[in-house]
Order: sequence, then structure tokens, then C-alpha cells
Amino acid sequence: MAELVMKLYEAAVKKVPNSEEYHSHLFMAYARVGEYKKMQQAGMALYKIVPKNPYYFWSVMSLVMQAISAQDEKLSKTMFLPLAERMVEKMVKEDKIEAEAEVQLYFMILERLGKYTEALEVVRGKLGEKLTSEVQSRENKCMSLYRKLDQWPECNALSRKLLLKNPDDWQFYLSYFDSVFHLIDEAWSPPEQGEHCTEGHVDSAVDQAIKFVEDRIAGEDSKDSRHLRGPYLARLELIKRLRQRSSSEERELGNPLDLMFEYFVKFGDKPCCITDLRIFVDLLEPDQYVQFINRLTETVPLSTQAEDALAQPADIKSLQRHLCVVQLSRLLGMHHSLDTEHKLHLIEELKARYLYGLKFGKSCLKTELQFSDMYCLLAAHVLVDFWKETGEERHLWQCLGLLEEGLSNSPSNAQFKLLLIIIYCRLGAFEPIVDLYSSLDAKHIQHDTIGYLVTRYAEPLGQFAAASQSCNFSLRFFHSNQKDTSEYIIQAYKYGAFEKIPEFIAFRNRLNNSLHFAQVRVERMLLDLFLEANILSSLEENVRSMGLCPEEDDIPWKEMQDNRDLTVLVSWDPKSRQLSEEDRWLSLEEEILWLRIRSLTLRLIATLATPSHPVEPKNSEKAAENGVASKNDTLHELLRQLEVALEGGKRFVERKVQYHFLGPPSTRLTSAFASGSCQCQASAFRLVVDVHDLDISGLDDTTEVQERLGNSFKDLIVQLKDIRNKCESDLFEIRDGQNKTKPAALENLVFFTETVCIILWVSSYCSCILRPLKSNLQKKKKKKKDANTPTPAIFTNYQEYISALQLLISEVLDHIKGLETNLTALKLDSLSLEDHTLSEAEKKFKKMVREKVQSSYQRSLQEMAELLKKRLDTVKGLKI
Amino acid sequence: YGIPFYLQYLAHWPEYFIVAEAPGGELMGYIMGKAEGSVAREEWHGHVTALSVAPEFRRLGLAAKLMELLEEISERKGGFFVDLFVRVSNQVAVNMYKQLGYSVYRTVIEYYSASNNEPDEDAYGKKALSRDLDKKSIIPLPHPVRPEDIE
Repeated sequence: MAELVMKLYEAAVKKVPNSEEYHSHLFMAYARVGEYKKMQQAGMALYKIVPKNPYYFWSVMSLVMQAISAQDEKLSKTMFLPLAERMVEKMVKEDKIEAEAEVQLYFMILERLGKYTEALEVVRGKLGEKLTSEVQSRENKCMSLYRKLDQWPECNALSRKLLLKNPDDWQFYLSYFDSVFHLIDEAWSPPEQGEHCTEGHVDSAVDQAIKFVEDRIAGEDSKDSRHLRGPYLARLELIKRLRQRSSSEERELGNPLDLMFEYFVKFGDKPCCITDLRIFVDLLEPDQYVQFINRLTETVPLSTQAEDALAQPADIKSLQRHLCVVQLSRLLGMHHSLDTEHKLHLIEELKARYLYGLKFGKSCLKTELQFSDMYCLLAAHVLVDFWKETGEERHLWQCLGLLEEGLSNSPSNAQFKLLLIIIYCRLGAFEPIVDLYSSLDAKHIQHDTIGYLVTRYAEPLGQFAAASQSCNFSLRFFHSNQKDTSEYIIQAYKYGAFEKIPEFIAFRNRLNNSLHFAQVRVERMLLDLFLEANILSSLEENVRSMGLCPEEDDIPWKEMQDNRDLTVLVSWDPKSRQLSEEDRWLSLEEEILWLRIRSLTLRLIATLATPSHPVEPKNSEKAAENGVASKNDTLHELLRQLEVALEGGKRFVERKVQYHFLGPPSTRLTSAFASGSCQCQASAFRLVVDVHDLDISGLDDTTEVQERLGNSFKDLIVQLKDIRNKCESDLFEIRDGQNKTKPAALENLVFFTETVCIILWVSSYCSCILRPLKSNLQKKKKKKKDANTPTPAIFTNYQEYISALQLLISEVLDHIKGLETNLTALKLDSLSLEDHTLSEAEKKFKKMVREKVQSSYQRSLQEMAELLKKRLDTVKGLKI
Repeated sequence: YGIPFYLQYLAHWPEYFIVAEAPGGELMGYIMGKAEGSVAREEWHGHVTALSVAPEFRRLGLAAKLMELLEEISERKGGFFVDLFVRVSNQVAVNMYKQLGYSVYRTVIEYYSASNNEPDEDAYGKKALSRDLDKKSIIPLPHPVRPEDIE
């Protein structure tokens, strides 16, 4: 479409060469498809017809875009950018610069060329006066240049000036401190006379920095109105930096414990207090933790109503203060170091505080959070700790009940929903996630950033319909992104928002190269092949409609972007238990390994669809000459890659990587290897090579191949049985009144089901090859009337294999039926169980979560049974 | 809002897009807006399209700071006033805007109703900038209007 528009306007300008309108449409048509070179020319052509500045600068910007998109950085720096620079300089010399956008563009070019001094001259000079739209546009640009040019006196003086104006602008504290320490290291001293530098007064010693910060604080302290957080946090930041330099002068600012205490007294009733302080808790020594928390606690006004009742806050502010203390103690590891008894006590206390605090939020709207919600979440976190330490599942169940209760009181609390999602999935129950996730109302970009929470679990837990749907949601978002961005790139040209153009393109690329995008693409196609496709007839059609080409790898492995928001679940865990950079890298490595295996699986299935011999087999040399890779080559190459990927996967599994509970979910890699499904699927694909050989060479000279095939069939059944054996156990039991789940058995059932689907595609291919061979043989026999020629064993082997497959699937179907019966029986059983220690609400939610999990298991079993029944029918049609 | 909506604002009024970040890197809030209207009719003005502060960073004066910046940008562009829509039922926001010097210029009936099927009134608030010396732009309209009557 876009190409047609381009052609249309190319023809139009040929016909009416002086039309401003057609030329500008042509420019936009090129912009839509990113034809930067043509845009550059079209812009100039326009300018020649109508000498308006914007047209000239469209052309310049298109040069910049050529520089940005060029593979060869040298070419950018030596050709495109200098040319763009000269074009702008020409206008500058002729005094023709009119708009702010033009200066912005000039700045962009100089910056990209690394000509920072020149850029600084522009910003500070006459042209810079045009930079007025953005708040502090000139200042921000100068600041970034001073830093790049190591002009620390100017950087310092400017930061200082800006902080005097707004003592709450955090970024300038950072540049102020950076510059002070650079100046100290350089032993810079101010000139004896006159201004310190072009930006004014410079602070170049620690005592000056201390005084500067303390003056800002004094300013705040003397105010009657609301205090700003910046100056107080800046003091802590300065201590942090002095400590990094092992400077004893930090003492002059005070003791961090006292200062953090002071901060808490000032801002403890604000929910952000914990966020602000958490970046500075490292300033405390471990042996100060208890003292620190005790001191904070003492300031929180709590009062007891009855003799041995828990002291509670009288208002929301006190509640918030107390909450902050609890969050800080968790952050300092004080929850983790408790023994069992104290932990239990803590959980009860947090629950009590949560319930008590609900009274402050009686008038809250449904869209607002309850003031005491965080107590509930903290109790949930401690329960998860408990489960981690003891392995006792009941803590997770209790946690689920508590969070469901919390959610019923505070239906908009996203953190409750997210944690519920993680825990339900840990227990193998995906069904509750559908409603939870949809009530999160994830929008647009969030499909990319948190979509993984859903797509990671739906399919592996046997909820195929939900899996397809969640992939579709994500895919719809990614596909519209491509369309959306080009339109706004054009608008950015129109309005001269040149700085935004590379940003829009980077944004588009970031989404196109998204790990999640690649994953949902592959999984969506695999799901289609597992669920929808008619294995007996429609592989070619499916592969074609998916646009799947086995030779082509459309996943941008090298540019892969991990856009997952891995800290979407809030946590006050101590640093050692928080998501680390290493976790991020490991998780990405793991995701990529698994994606590689899945994408190769997909492409290998696709090879089964491509015609066996596009040219006559004898002319295969010719075919190679013509550049047509034969099916055999593709197959071998993909198999080789699969071996490498599996080897990589295996090595990763051996490392036994574990992430924190709230960290990234691990992939299916480990369980796939444990189930044996990876290995089994690979064996199935390996077998295709021999079948292909048989297809090319016929029955006569392939005794060895046939023998090998016979063994491979047998081996495949053995491997499948192994997977089956790993799903034998019950999924759900109630033992001593406690729920016990075996999510691994469910996952293995899914692996079994997926593997059966893949094996059937392979078997279908086998039947396509063997069937004509068999009928030819029979025809020959009839002709020769020679009934004594023995029929090669391969046919019997194949038939036996199909029968064994049939039997195996029936057995698993029976097993699933048994599991379903057990679940139903348990449902009735559990009705009679009552725990008298629980409150009414606890009973209610305990029952609710158990029912949800049981119902989810039932659905998973049903979906798998349905699919396996379908596949059982398929097997019947595969006999020859 | 969908991504196209944000991209449109970024392409047209990038200067009107401001985010506030906490020292730890958390996003505290953002404001987005635009400049529009005829200069000749003295209707050239800044408009607040969205203002949002994360729950844990509320009650810190952040919204006021972001509004101040948006007003500053509108001043520089020579706007006569800044305007915005706010749901009447959103009392917290209505009070905040009043404190910041905004007055109800007119109410629009059922402006937001499409989204929640509940009839609601929408206040159309305005604040005059320094260019409008006589504060002509903010003389309130006597009667409520329907959404189709707004240009």
C-alpha cells in the first residue's frame, strides 16, 4: 500500500513538477516507509520550488536519519552528518535560521558528531535564544555538554544556580555532587579575581558542598509551608558519596541513623518515605538496625484499647508511619531473621493490623486502595518466606486466602492481583489468572512489559484456549505498533519535532525486537499446530497461512530487547533478596535458550510441509546451483541447530539457576528436560532424516536405513512412555486437612500432550512416504504374481508403532479420567473439613481458593483430554 | 490512552510532556498538554490533557509543581489562559485546581458518561495567564452545555 502511494506521487510530481502539494505528499510517502535518501532529495526539490525553511530542514533531518540508520558508523560520521552540518551552517551564515526546531536540529547534528564545544557555542549563543519552548531547555543542554566536555566548574556553577532556584530538583544535586568531586580530584581552584566561571560561583571543596546542602535544609526548616524532600535526601546522598571516598568529613553532616530518623519524623506519614529511604539504608551498620527501628517505633503514636490488645494507630497518618517502620524492618532483614514462633506471631500481627486499618478506609471508592493494604501484602510476603523455608504448602494456601480477602476489600489493588497470579501459577492453577489479569486492565505497552506473567503459565498449565487468547492480545498490540509509529514520524516532521523522530524509531524497534513479541509469535503458531490444524491434511496450508518458512529465521536474536518489567511486584526484601542485574541476565539467557528450542521445533515441523523434491532428485546438484536449498539441507541444518540449542539448554539446566520468588519466573526449560519431552521431540525430528532418505532412494538400497527407522519407532515409544510415567501421580490431595498439589505432574501431562502432537506431525509425514511405497510394492507383487517376496519389515514396524501410540494415548486418557474423578471426589470430601481455629472470613476465603484451584485443574484436564481425544482419532488415520 | 495518542502529543507538543522521577528512579507522575486556539480571538491557550501522580507520591505537592511547569510553558507561548476538564465527582482534583487558581468556567453535561454509563457533570476549569490582564477569558458561562457544543 505504502509503495503504491509512493509511486502515485512520483508520477504526480513528474506530471506537475512545480506542485508544492504533490512534492510534500511525496516526501511524506517516503517518510512512511523510511526512504531517507529519497526524502532528502524530495525535501530539497520542495525547497527549490518553494523556499520555505521547513522544507530545507526536512532534507537536513533526512540526512541525519541516514546517519542514524547507516550500518557503517564511519559513513555516518564522515559523510551524512558533516553534510547535514554544512547545510545548516549555510543557513546560519546567511542568517536564515528562523525556528526553534532548526536550532534543535543543528544541536542534534553537532552532538552526534561529538562536536560538543561547537554545540555549546550554539546553545549559549544567539541561536540558543530560540530554545524557549521547553522548560530549562538551554540549561539542560548546557549541563549535558559540560559533563561531556569535563567542564566541571561550569557544571557545578549551573547546578548550583538551578538548585538555588528549585532546591527539590534531584538531578541537579547529582550533577552538583559529581562536579564537586571532580573539581576536588583535579585540585581546581578559583581564579583570584572575577567570576569563578562563565556560569558563576563554583563550590569546589567538601566543606562548601556541606554548607550548600545545609543551607538548603535550613531554608526548608524555616518554611511554614510543606517541606521539600530534596534537600534532606541530598544530605544523605552527600554522606553516601563521602563514604564511598572514605572521607571522614561525612561526620560533619551528622550520623546517618539520626538523619534518617529525622527524615522519618518529617516524612514518615507519606507513603513515599520507604521509597526515599530505601536507597540509603546501606549507610546504617548492621548492629544499628535494631536501635534504628526501635527509635522509629517509639515515635509512632499507637494506643491500646484493652489490656493485652495490640496497640493500634488512631489515624491514617499514624498508620502510615507504622507501616513505614514495618517496611523498613523487612528491608533491613529483620523479618527474615525471625524464628518460626516469632514469624507466626508477626503474620498474625500484620493480619490484625490490616483488618483494624480497614476502618480508616470505609468511605474509599472501589477504585481507591485501602490505607492498610500494605499490611496485608507484607503478611503475604512473610507467608511466602515461610513456605520457602519449610516447603510446607499450607503457607501458600493461607497466603492465597489472605490476598483474596484483601482483594475483596480493595478490588483495585494491583499488587494483590499480581501476587495472586504468581502464587496460583506456582500451584499449577491458571484458571483464576484469566479474571485477575483482565481486571488489571493491562493497556498497550503493558502487553509487552507484563504480558509474560500470563503467557508464561497458560500453555504450560494446560489451558490452551486462554494461552491462544493471551498470545493474541499481545500480538494485536505489536502489530498495531508498526502501523501507528509511521504516522507520527510524519507528524513529527510536520511540526519540526526532530528530536522525537529517532526516539519514535527507537521505540518502534524496541517493540519489534521484543523478546515477548518473538515468544508469543512462536507460541501462537505452535499452539495452532497443536490445537487447530488437521494433522492428516493441512500442514502445507497452515504453514503457508502463517507465513512460516523453515529456511528463514525471523527472530532478531542479536537485537533482542528484554522489555519485561521484572520489578512490577513490589517488594521490601533486603538487597540480597532483590532482583539483581545478574538475575536479569540469567533470566534473559534462559528465555533465549528456550525460545531457540521452541522456534526450531516450529521450523522443523514446517519442514515437514515443504515439498520433498522441488526438482527431480537426480538433478539435485543443479538445484543447489540454482540456489534452491533442498529440503534435506534445511532439515539437516535445523537439526544441527536444535542439537546445539538442546546442548546449551542442558548446560543451563545443570547450573540449577534459581530466582527469587518475586523475581523473573523461570522458563519451562528445566521441566522440559526433566520430563524428557525435549529429547523425545528431537528424536522424532531425527527420524525424519531417514524417512526422507527412504523417500529419495526407495526401498531397494536402504536396508540399513529401514532397520534404523524400525528401531527409532520403538525408541520413540519408549521415550513417550517415560514422559507418561512422569505424569502418573495425583494432582491434588488433602492430607491431614491440608491441601497438597503436584503441579509438576500437570506440567508433565502438558509436555506429553505437546510431544504427542509433534510426533503425530512426524508420523503423518512418515505415512505420506510409506503409503505409496507400500502400494507400489503391492502393485509390483501383483504384476509378478510373486507372493513370496517378503514385505520389508519397515511396514510392520510402522504399523506396530502406530498401534503402540494409539494404546499409549488411550492409557493417558484413562489416567486423566481417573484424575478428574479424584478431583470431584475431593471436592465433596473437602466440604466436611472445617478448621475451628479460623475466622468466618478465613474459612470463606480458604474454601474459595481451594475451589478455584480444583476447578482450574479440572479445566486443564478437560482441555488436555479433549486434545488427546482428537489426536487419538488422528492416529487411526495414520495407519497404512 | 493508546500509544498513538501519546505519539501524537509527542510529535506536536513535545515540550508539554513532563515526567517526575524519584531519586530511586521510580516514576512519580507526569503531565501532558497542548497549546491551541486562535490568537486573533484571544483564545490561544494551554490545555491540560492528563495529569497523573502515582499513589505513593501523592500529597507531596507534585501535581501543583507539574501544573506550574505547564503554566510556565503556556506563558512563554503567549497563551491567554490554561484550561482543563475535570469530573465534578473527582472532588480531590476539583479542590486542587481551585487552590491553584482555577475557576469553573462552565460545566459540561455527560462529558465522561460514555466510559462508565453514569451521568456525570464535567467542570471546565480555566485560569487566566498574565497576558490576559482583564481576566476576560475566565468570566464564567451561566449555563451548563452539552459535549457537542464544545469546539
